[in-house]
Amino acid sequence: MRKLSVFLFFMFICVATFAQNPIRTTIKGIIQDTSSVGMGGATVMLLAPKDSALINFSRANDKGIFEFKNVKNTAYILKVSYVGYLPYQQILAPSATEIADLGNVGIKPISKELLEVVVKTARAPLTIKGDTIEYDARSFKVPAGSSVEDLLRRLPGMEIDAQGNIKAQGKDVKKVLVDGKTFFGDDPKAATKNLGAETISKVQVFNDKSEQAKLTGVDDGKKEKAINLELKEEYKKGAFGKITGAVGTDSRMALRGNYNKFNKTSQFSILGYGNNINETGVNWSDYGEFKGNNSFNNNDNGDFGFGGNRWWGSDGDGITNQFDGRGFTNNGGGGMNYNFDNKKTKFSSSYFYNQTRLFLDQYQNKKTFLQNSAFLTTDTSSQNNFRGNHSIGTRFERMIDSSNTLIVKTNMRAGMKNDVNAMFQSNLTEEGLLRTRAAIKNSNDFTNFYLNTSAIFRHKFKKKGRSYALSFGYNVNNSIGNENLNSLTKFITAGTFTEQVRAIRQINDNDNRQNMVKGSALFLEPLSKKIFWETFYNFSSDNRSVNRQAFNGLFENRRMDSLSTYFENNVTYNRIGTSLRYSFSGVNISLGGAALRYDLDGKQFPQKGGQLFSSVTKSYPNFMPYLDASLELKNNLNFNFSYNLEVSAPQIADLQPVINNNNPFFISTGNPDLNPEKSHSVSLSMYKFDPATFLNINIWGNYNYYLSQVVYNQTIDPNTFIVRTRPENLSGGDNFSLGTYFGFPIIKTKLTVNLNPRISVSNNPTYINGILNNSNNQNYNLSFGLSLTPNDKLIMSLNTRLGINNIKYSLSEAQNQNIRNNGLDVSIKWNFVAKTFLETNLDYKRFRNERFGFEQDIPIYNVSVRRLFMKENKLEVRLAAFDLFNKRQSILQSGFQNTVVNQTSLTLARYFMLSLTYNLKGHESKLKKNQWWD
Amino acid sequence: MKNIITFISVFLISCVSYAQQEGMVRYTRTTYWTKLNSTLPYLSKQEKEKQAYMFGGRDEGIEYTLLYFNEKGSYYTQSEQLNSWEEKYDYNGRKEVFGIKRDFDKNSMTEVFEMIGKTYIMEDSLKQLNWKILNDIKDVAGHICMKAMIQDTIKKQKIIAWFAQDIPIIAGPERLYGLPGLILELDINDGAVIVEATKIEPLKITTQMDLPKKMKGKKINELAFQDMVRKFIQEKIKEEQNPFWSIRY
Repeated sequence: MRKLSVFLFFMFICVATFAQNPIRTTIKGIIQDTSSVGMGGATVMLLAPKDSALINFSRANDKGIFEFKNVKNTAYILKVSYVGYLPYQQILAPSATEIADLGNVGIKPISKELLEVVVKTARAPLTIKGDTIEYDARSFKVPAGSSVEDLLRRLPGMEIDAQGNIKAQGKDVKKVLVDGKTFFGDDPKAATKNLGAETISKVQVFNDKSEQAKLTGVDDGKKEKAINLELKEEYKKGAFGKITGAVGTDSRMALRGNYNKFNKTSQFSILGYGNNINETGVNWSDYGEFKGNNSFNNNDNGDFGFGGNRWWGSDGDGITNQFDGRGFTNNGGGGMNYNFDNKKTKFSSSYFYNQTRLFLDQYQNKKTFLQNSAFLTTDTSSQNNFRGNHSIGTRFERMIDSSNTLIVKTNMRAGMKNDVNAMFQSNLTEEGLLRTRAAIKNSNDFTNFYLNTSAIFRHKFKKKGRSYALSFGYNVNNSIGNENLNSLTKFITAGTFTEQVRAIRQINDNDNRQNMVKGSALFLEPLSKKIFWETFYNFSSDNRSVNRQAFNGLFENRRMDSLSTYFENNVTYNRIGTSLRYSFSGVNISLGGAALRYDLDGKQFPQKGGQLFSSVTKSYPNFMPYLDASLELKNNLNFNFSYNLEVSAPQIADLQPVINNNNPFFISTGNPDLNPEKSHSVSLSMYKFDPATFLNINIWGNYNYYLSQVVYNQTIDPNTFIVRTRPENLSGGDNFSLGTYFGFPIIKTKLTVNLNPRISVSNNPTYINGILNNSNNQNYNLSFGLSLTPNDKLIMSLNTRLGINNIKYSLSEAQNQNIRNNGLDVSIKWNFVAKTFLETNLDYKRFRNERFGFEQDIPIYNVSVRRLFMKENKLEVRLAAFDLFNKRQSILQSGFQNTVVNQTSLTLARYFMLSLTYNLKGHESKLKKNQWWD
Repeated sequence: MKNIITFISVFLISCVSYAQQEGMVRYTRTTYWTKLNSTLPYLSKQEKEKQAYMFGGRDEGIEYTLLYFNEKGSYYTQSEQLNSWEEKYDYNGRKEVFGIKRDFDKNSMTEVFEMIGKTYIMEDSLKQLNWKILNDIKDVAGHICMKAMIQDTIKKQKIIAWFAQDIPIIAGPERLYGLPGLILELDINDGAVIVEATKIEPLKITTQMDLPKKMKGKKINELAFQDMVRKFIQEKIKEEQNPFWSIRY
C-alpha cells in the first residue's frame, strides 16, 4: 500500500513536471472482428485529421496486433482496411503517454450480398460515409424506360412489395430523397415510381434519425432507413448552334445557321445557308459540326490491296465552299444529319440540298504554236450556270461480336444542271491579222443520278493477326439531257461565200448510263510475330452506254448520223495480288506484286437498236510490282518510301468515237483503240519534329515516268486554225516534284518562321501535226512566312510567295515562256479594347509574262471590326470592308502542250457588310493562335 | 485443439494475403483524348464541346503496360502488345525507351524514358508521396481496393489510385508508389487517362526488373525533370498546342 502511494505520488510529480505530452509516442492495438478474432494482415494507417493525408502505415501481425513505434505524438485518424470488412476509422487525440494502447479495435464485415453483388459482380465502387453506403447505380443495367422502382428491385438488400413499399436491409424505408431533397412530399413511392432509372447515377442507403429525434434534438437511438437518389450530371447532353445574318452594299447578303443537339449516344444537326457573296458552301469547321462523329467514317472503302487509299480525306460532300475565285454566285443549301453510336452499332444518315448559280464573264488570250508559226485566240465569254443537288447518305456499322464487323454504306445524289455559254472567239495570225471570228451560244440541260452502295464484312480469327475481309459494291451513274449548239463562224480569208460562213444549229440528245458491280476479298495471315502475309482479289464489271442523237436545227431537225452514236462498253477488271509485310517497332515494309487484267468490250451502233457498226474487244494484262516502306526513328524522325506501277483504264469519254463539236474551232474525237495508262511511280518523304525547339522539317519528292500515257494529239489547220484532237497513247512523259517545309520559332511562343521551297518539272510530249512536241514545264515556288505574337492581344503574320513557271516547247523554242506569279500577304489581328477586335489583311498579287506582254497587279485589302455583346458574349457584331481598293479579279496564267494562256475573270470586288452572329454557347473573347478547324 | 485450428486458419489467411508478393501486373492504359484536351486552358468552352461532339465515344487510345514487382522493388514498362492505333491501321510503331524502376530497399529510383525528343536517365532517391486515403472500396482485377488520391502540381493532375487491400506491396504503375497495397488502378484527371490492371500473374522475379545494360541518355535528377516538364508545359500552352503529345500525361 505504501509502495503504491509512493508510486502514485511519484507519478503525479512526473505529470506535473512534464505537463506536456511526450514528443514521440508508440501507438499499438489489436485488430479484431466482431467475434474477437485477431485480423492478421489488416492494413493499419495513420492519417492526418485535416486532410486524410497518409502519414504512416503498417500491417497487423498474425494475431492482429499492430504497432507504430516512435511516431510524432499528434492527432491522427487511425484507419484500418481489410478485405471484406468496412474500412474502419477512429480519431486519435495526442497521447498523454509514451505508449498509446488502443486495445481492441473492432472492424465490421461488409454484408456478403453487397460484396458479392455490388463489388464483385457489378464492379461498382462502394463509398462508405460513416454508416452510409453508396454505390453507382449505373452499374446495374435495367431496360430503357424502367422506373427507379425497377432499378431498386435489382439492388442487393432491397425488397419492394407489390404496393411499391421499400425495405432496405429488412427495415422499412420511410423516406426517399432526390439529390438530398424531399421529392413530392413524404411518400417514398412518389419518387421511385415516377422517376426514370436512366436519370439516376447513385443510390445511397443510410440511417436517418427519427423525426422525433430531429424534433427534440435528443438522439433516441431509433434510426430509420432512408434512400437518397443522386441525379446524373448530364454533361454529355446538350445543344449548341449559331446563326449569322449579314447585309451589305450592292445588295450583298448572307444568312447562315446551324443547330446541334446531342446526348451520349445520338447526335442531330441541321445546317442551312444562303448568300450572294460567293460562298458556295460552308467552311470545314461548320461541315465537321454538321457531320459530327460521322466525319471520320470515310476511310472504309472496300477496295482492298495496295494502291487503295488508306488515308482517305473527305471531299466535303459538296457541302463545303468550292468557289474557285471566278465570277459571281448565288448560293443556297440546307440539310440535316443524324448519328447514333453506342459502340456496338454506329448509324449515320444525312440529307442535304444545295444549289449554286454562277454568272461568269471571262476574257481569255491563248497563243498556239505550230512548227514555224503561231496564232492567237481571244475569247470573251459570258456564262450562266446552275447546279442543284440532293444528296442522301447512310452508313451502318455493327460489331456483331468481338471478331465480326459489318459496314453497309449508301450514297445517293440526284442533281440537275443547266449552262448557258455565250462566247465570241477570234483567231488572229501572229502579226495580229484577223482570220476567223465565231459567235457561239451553247446551252445544256442535264439531270444526273448517282448511287454508290457498298458492304464490307471483316472477320478476325482466334489466331491473333489472322483475318479476312469481303466487300461488295454497286454503283450507278446516269446523266440524261440535251445540248443546244449554236454558232456562226466567219473565215475572213476564204474565197467563196459558202466557205466564208459556217453556221451550226444542232441539238444533241444525250443518255449516258453507267452501272458497276464490284467486289474485293482480303486475307491476312501472320507468318511470325513480325511478318505478315496479305493476299487480295479485286473484281469489277463496269457497264456503260452512251446514246447520243444529234439533230440539225438548220435542216428540219434531221438526225445527223455522222454526229450520232450509240455505244456500249464493258470493262471487266480482275486483280489478284499478294504481299509480305515486315512490321516491328517502327519499321514497316511491304513488298508484293499483283497480276491484273482489264477486259474491254465495246460495241458501236449507228443508233440504239441499230445494226452493229463496229466492235472492239481487248484485254490488257499487266503485272504490278509494289514496295512500300516506312521507318520511324528515334527523336521523331520518319521516312517513307514507295514504288509502284500504276495502271489505269482509259476514261470512257476518250474511248467514244464521237465527234464533239461544241466549239467549232476545237473538235475532239474519242479513240476506241486506247490502251490503259501505265506509269512507274516513286515517292519519298521525310518528317522530323523536335519538340524541344519546336522545329518542323518536311521533305517530300515524287517521280512518275509514263510507259504509256493518254495524250491529246492535235491536227491544226494552218489556215483556218481549226484544232482537231484525238487521245492516243505515248510513252516518255514524266513529272517530278520536290518540296520541303521548315518551320521553327526564332523566339519561342512569340516569333516563328516558315520556309517552303517547291520545285516541279514535267515533260509532256504530244504530236502536233504529226511532229513530236515536248513541252517542258518547270515550276519553282518559294514561300516564306513570319508570324509574330508580341502579346496575347496582337497577332501579326506576313507571307510571301514567289512563283516562276518556265515553259519550253521543243516545237518552237523561240516561244519559250516565263510566267511569274508573286504575292505578299500581311495580316493583323488586334484585340485593342476588351471584347473588340480589329482584323485586317492585305493580299498583294503580281502577275507577269513579259513575252506574252502580260502585266497585272492586284492589291486586295480587307478590314473588319467586331465586338462581342451580351452575357457569355453570345452576340457578335461585325462591320467589314472587303477589297477596299476595288481591285479584285481572278487571273490564271498557264502553259501546256503547244499553248500559253492567260485568263481574266470578273468577280466580287469591293463591298461593305454588317453582320450579326448569335452563338448559343457564346463567342471566344480572346485571340486564338490556332483556329481549330477554321 | 481449438488453438491449433485458430493457428491454422490464421496461417492460411496469411498465406492467402501474402501469396502474391512477387509477380507481374498487366495494365491497359487508356487515354480519352477529348477529356485530356478539355483540361487544356487555351481551349474555349465551345471548342471543348465541339471536340466532345465530334470525337465523343471514339477518342480513346489504348496502350498496354507491365509492372514487375516484389517486396524490394518494381519495374514498369510497356508491353509488346500493339496499341489500339497500331491495331486499327495495321502498323507497328517504334517502341519508345521506357522503364521506371523503384528500389524500395535502397530507397532509390531509376527511370529511362524519352521526353521532348530526347532520351533521359533519371536517378534519384524516392521521396515520400503525399497520398490522401479515402473511404471507398471497389474491385479491380479480382482484388478489393481502397481509394487514395494525390495531386500532381507540375502536370496539374488529380490522380485517384485504387490499391489492393490484400497485396502488401508499395509499388504501382506510372511513377506512383508508396501506398499500403499494390496500386491496381489509376484515374488521372477525372478519366482523362485510366490505367487499369487486367491480370495479376504470380512470377518468380529474376532479371525482369533489371534495367537494360547499355543505357544511353542524358542524366538528370528529379528536380531537373520537374523543372523541364513545368517549363515545357508552360511554353506549349502559350503556343496553344497540346504539351502531352511530347510528354507522358
